Amino acid sequence: MIIVEHKKIGDMGYVSHKDTLKVLQRALKRGKINVEYSKGFVPHMLTYTTTPLPLGVQSDAEYFGVECTGVSASEFLERFNRSVPAGLVGSWAVELLKNPNLAFIVVASEYRIKASGNLQAVTGILDKSSYVIDTVKKGEPIQKEIRDMIFDIRVEGEEIVCVLATGNINLRVDSFVDSLVTNFGIKANRNGIIRTKQLVKDGEKLVSVGEFLR
Amino acid sequence: MEDILSDILLRVEKPARYVGGEYNLPNMDKPCSHRTCLCFCDKYEVGMSNIGVRILYHMLNDMEGFVCERSFAPDLDMAKELQEHNLPLFSLETKRPLLDFDMVAFSVGFELHFTNIIYMFDLAHIPYYAADRDDSYPVIIAGGPCAVNPMPFADFFDAIMIGEGEINFKQFNELHDKCMKEGISKQEFLKRATTIEGVYIPSLNNPTKRAVVQDLDKSYFPTDILVPNCDIVHDRSTIELFRGCANGCRFCQACFYYRPIRERKVGTLVNYAKALMDNTGYDELSLSSLSTSDYSGLKDLVDQLKVEADERKIKLALPSLRLDSFEAEIYQEMGGSSLTFAPEAGTQRLRNVINKNVSEQDVYNSIKGAMEYGVKNVKLYFMIGLPTETMEDLQGIVDIVNLVKDLHRQYGKSKMLNIIVSTAVFIPKPLTPFQWERQISMQEMKEKQEFLIEKLRMKNVKYSWHGAESSVVESLLARGDRKLSSVIVDAYHNGCVFDSWSEHFNFEGWMKAVQDNNINLEEYTGEQAEDKVFAWDIVDNGVTKKYLLSERYKSRQGITTPNCMGKCNGCGASKLGRCFE
Repeated sequence: MIIVEHKKIGDMGYVSHKDTLKVLQRALKRGKINVEYSKGFVPHMLTYTTTPLPLGVQSDAEYFGVECTGVSASEFLERFNRSVPAGLVGSWAVELLKNPNLAFIVVASEYRIKASGNLQAVTGILDKSSYVIDTVKKGEPIQKEIRDMIFDIRVEGEEIVCVLATGNINLRVDSFVDSLVTNFGIKANRNGIIRTKQLVKDGEKLVSVGEFLR
Repeated sequence: MEDILSDILLRVEKPARYVGGEYNLPNMDKPCSHRTCLCFCDKYEVGMSNIGVRILYHMLNDMEGFVCERSFAPDLDMAKELQEHNLPLFSLETKRPLLDFDMVAFSVGFELHFTNIIYMFDLAHIPYYAADRDDSYPVIIAGGPCAVNPMPFADFFDAIMIGEGEINFKQFNELHDKCMKEGISKQEFLKRATTIEGVYIPSLNNPTKRAVVQDLDKSYFPTDILVPNCDIVHDRSTIELFRGCANGCRFCQACFYYRPIRERKVGTLVNYAKALMDNTGYDELSLSSLSTSDYSGLKDLVDQLKVEADERKIKLALPSLRLDSFEAEIYQEMGGSSLTFAPEAGTQRLRNVINKNVSEQDVYNSIKGAMEYGVKNVKLYFMIGLPTETMEDLQGIVDIVNLVKDLHRQYGKSKMLNIIVSTAVFIPKPLTPFQWERQISMQEMKEKQEFLIEKLRMKNVKYSWHGAESSVVESLLARGDRKLSSVIVDAYHNGCVFDSWSEHFNFEGWMKAVQDNNINLEEYTGEQAEDKVFAWDIVDNGVTKKYLLSERYKSRQGITTPNCMGKCNGCGASKLGRCFE
C-alpha cells in the first residue's frame, strides 16, 4: 500500500471529511492509479484516512492510504498532485508492505491556532488538574473533562501551539478553541486553526507520522 | 469581503457550495475583455447538475478574451448572513459581486424558479425591472428551458436567449464585447442584438426564431467539466446522445421544444465518454437524451463503452428508457437492478389520447423481461388530470401495479420487489398539443390522489404524488403573460422562494399575490380558446400551431401519431434544421 501525506488548505477546509474522501478517490481514478477494491457485494476502493478535521480547520498533515499496485511512491505522488483540486497538495508518499492502520495508532495532533489577547494565560491549563469544557453530544449540551486530552500548550508569536488527543480518545480542536475564547477572552476561530502534525507513540515518545513511517 | 466571508462560511450548512475551487476550474486570470456570470436559480447541487449550464460555462471560458463565472441561489441561511453583513451575492470563482460583471445570465429551468430570480436580484442588489437599470448596470439576461414562454419574467431582463445557447448566447456575448469596446450604449447594443436569431428583447418586443444548432455532432461539448467537491444531485458525467424527441407525447413540452431531432455519431460519443472518464474520475457515466433507447446507435455505443467502463469500474447509466423499446439485452449489459418506466397513463385509451405509443402488450413484455433479468426495484411514473381522464384510467394505474406484482410472482428472478408509484399533475404547457387544455381543479386533484392513496395501500408499494397547490402555481406561470411579473415580485415579498422545494413552498403567499394583482387564476389554468394569440406566439419555435392543433383533434378521437424516426409527420421543426433521417 501507499500512504501519502497531504495538505488540506484554503477553501478545501470547507469541504467535509466524507466529501474529501470522495474527492480523493476521484483523483485516484483521474491519476489512473490501479486501486484495489473490496471483494464484497458492493465493491469499494480500499482507501484509508485518519481522524476527520472539523469543518473550516486546515491541515498540513493529512494521511491517505491506498491499496494499489503497479506504481512507485514517487510516481504515485506525482500523479496524485496532478489529479487533486487546489487546496490538496501531496507532500510525500511512502510504500509499505502492510497497512499501519493510522486511524488506530494516531493518538494526538499538533495544531497551530492564530489568536490574539492574553495568550500566555492559556498555557496555565497545563498547571491545572482539571479543565472542563461545554460541548455537544448527540445534540445535547454536555460538560466534558478534557485535561487528560491536552498534552502540550505553548505560545509562539501570535499563535497558540497545542497537542491534543486524536483518534479513539479524541478532543475536537474547535471545541477546545471555543473554550479558550470563552474562558480566557482571547480572539480565535476555526479559520485560524491548522493541524501541523499527527502523532503516534514510539515507546514513550510522541513522534510524527512522517518520522514513524519513513 | 474574504475575511467576513470566511467567518460566515463557518455558520452555514454545506459551505463547500459557496467556495468553488473544483477540479478542472478554467483559468480565471487569463487576459479577458468580457466577464459573464452564469447564474442558476436554485441551489449549487441542482445547478451543477444541469447539462446546459455545464456546456455554456465551459464554452465561454474556452473562448479567447472571455471569462465566465458561476453563481447559484444561496440557501436561506447563507442569504440571511449575506444580508446581515450587507454583502452582495458573488461569483464562486473570484468572489466578485454580480454587479461587477459585464453580463449576468440566468438559466431559468422551471416555472417554480421564478421567485428565485427576484431572490437572487435582491441579494445581488440588482433592481428588479430592466426599465429601472441604466447603463451602469451589467446587461442582465435569461435563457434556459423556461424561455419557451419568457413572458412572466420578461420585464426583469434586458434580453432573453431563446433556443440553444451554443448559438445565440455565444453570439450575444461576442456582440456585447464588441459594443463595449466601441463604447456603444446598452440600448443600442440591445437593438443590434435583435439581428441574432433567438434573441428576444422584451423592451422592443421583437419577433424572433428559436436558435438551433445545425450540426450537433460538431457542436461544442465540454469534456473537462468541473468536478464538485461536495455532493450534487446528478453526481456523474454525462454525454448527450441526441436532441429532440421523435415520440410526440402530447403533454410533453421538451419533445416539441427541442426539435428538430439531431443525433451525435457513435464515434464522437465514444471519444467524449473516454475523455470524460479521463478528466473527471466519476464512477458513473450517463447516456442522456429525452428518450435514450431511441438513439439509433445505442447497442453499438454501449458495446464500445462497456469494456472501457468495466476496466475502469465505471457504471453506465441509461435514463429515459421507453417502455416500448426496452431492450433487455442492453439492460442486462448495464447490470442494473432497478428500472424506471413512465407509462404516464393507466389505460390504453388514455395512452392513445396523450400519444404515449405504448401498448398493453409492450407493458406486459417489458415488465416480464425486467422480472426475468432479476429487477428488484420498479419505479412507475404516471400523470393525473390528463385531458379526458376518468376514474377507469386511474384504476388502470392500480391494474399496472398489480400486473407488476403478478409477473414478479410468476417470473421474478429476484425474491425481493419494491414498487414506487409516482404521479404528477398534468400541467398544460406552451408549445404542446395540450396548450389549450384546462388544468383540473385542486379539488379534483385531491380526489384523484386520495383514490390512489387508498388503492395503492399494498405491501412493497410506495406511492408518492406532487402537491396540488404547487401544480396550480406552475400551471399559472407556464401559460403566463407579462401581467404576471408583478405577481412574481409580490409573491417573493410574501415570502415565496425555493418554490420547487416542497418544504419551502408557500401557497398562501402566491394566492395573496394573485389576488392583490387582480389576476383571475381561471384565465390561465382554464381551457384556452383555439384562436387565442398566446404570449409565446411571438417566437417561431419551428413546430407550427396548425400541427399542434391537429394533434389536439387527434387526441380527442384517440388517434395516435407514430414516432417520426421512420417518416416525418410534418410538425414544422425541420425548417429550423435538418431532422434525423
